Amino acid sequence: MTGRATASRFLQSVLHNGLGRYVCQLSRITLAFSKGSQTSRGVRDYVENHVVDFAKKHQGTVVYISPRRCHVPKVTAEYLNGGTKVVALNSKSAEEIAQVITLMANQSGLDVVRIRKPFHTEHPSIQGLWQPFVNKRSQLSPRIAEWKGAQ
Amino acid sequence: MVLLSLALLMRNRGPDRYWKHQELLKHARHFRGRKNRCYSLAIRTVRRAWRYATIGRHLKKRDMRQLWITRIAAGAGEHGLKYSQFITSLLKCQVDLNRKVLADLAITEPKTFKCLAALAERRRQEGFHALLNDKEPPGIFSRIVQQR
Repeated sequence: MTGRATASRFLQSVLHNGLGRYVCQLSRITLAFSKGSQTSRGVRDYVENHVVDFAKKHQGTVVYISPRRCHVPKVTAEYLNGGTKVVALNSKSAEEIAQVITLMANQSGLDVVRIRKPFHTEHPSIQGLWQPFVNKRSQLSPRIAEWKGAQ
Repeated sequence: MVLLSLALLMRNRGPDRYWKHQELLKHARHFRGRKNRCYSLAIRTVRRAWRYATIGRHLKKRDMRQLWITRIAAGAGEHGLKYSQFITSLLKCQVDLNRKVLADLAITEPKTFKCLAALAERRRQEGFHALLNDKEPPGIFSRIVQQR
């Protein structure tokens, strides 16, 4: 797996989230499961016991429960920056599903790819970037000394 | 007598050759020429690329350190010090900045780097005085701070 062939991005936050108030980036979460199949057993357990607590804890997220005929129960997360993430909850227990959903709530919608640098800064230099004449004497310095002497 | 040869020649080779090839070709899409399209050519070049990537991970560490050393040497040279003198004097002052940080300071924080060079030069002079046993008070920067 080469760095050029696989996707990568720079470290960033969505609209400087956290600089002011932290805003939960998850806007909508949809649980699709079947009412009768064995694979949806964990999801049904989660929906009966834990989903209301999740919804109360994350007031800014809309939770949709959609029971329908499906083989594979899924959770679809949609984020404020437009990103979506779909995770299959095949034969998972309610605790594992809770872990998955908490993870999705803590993520932003940015892609989960290699981050090129673990840091990012808008202003890398405070004293001014080095330039060839920064550490050299000024051509005017004899005249400055002369002017200071005159004072 | 039953003729079996023709029946034995017909084999079902597998349904998903296309997708297996696509999985490999996606690692070759940024190559030049037919090796970004044709599987037989791509497989050889992709294996080469993966081998170089594995080796390159070790080389990258070496190359980055070499680059930092070059940059620190250039910055210290501007202030009249050699790289070796600069680094050893800073170590003796218990300034434990690594080469990556020193190189970044030399680029983005030139005044700080100038102060570090001055510190190194002062410590160097104190070392010389201590060796030559001048009747001077012991150096300020030569005092080793006790670690708790």
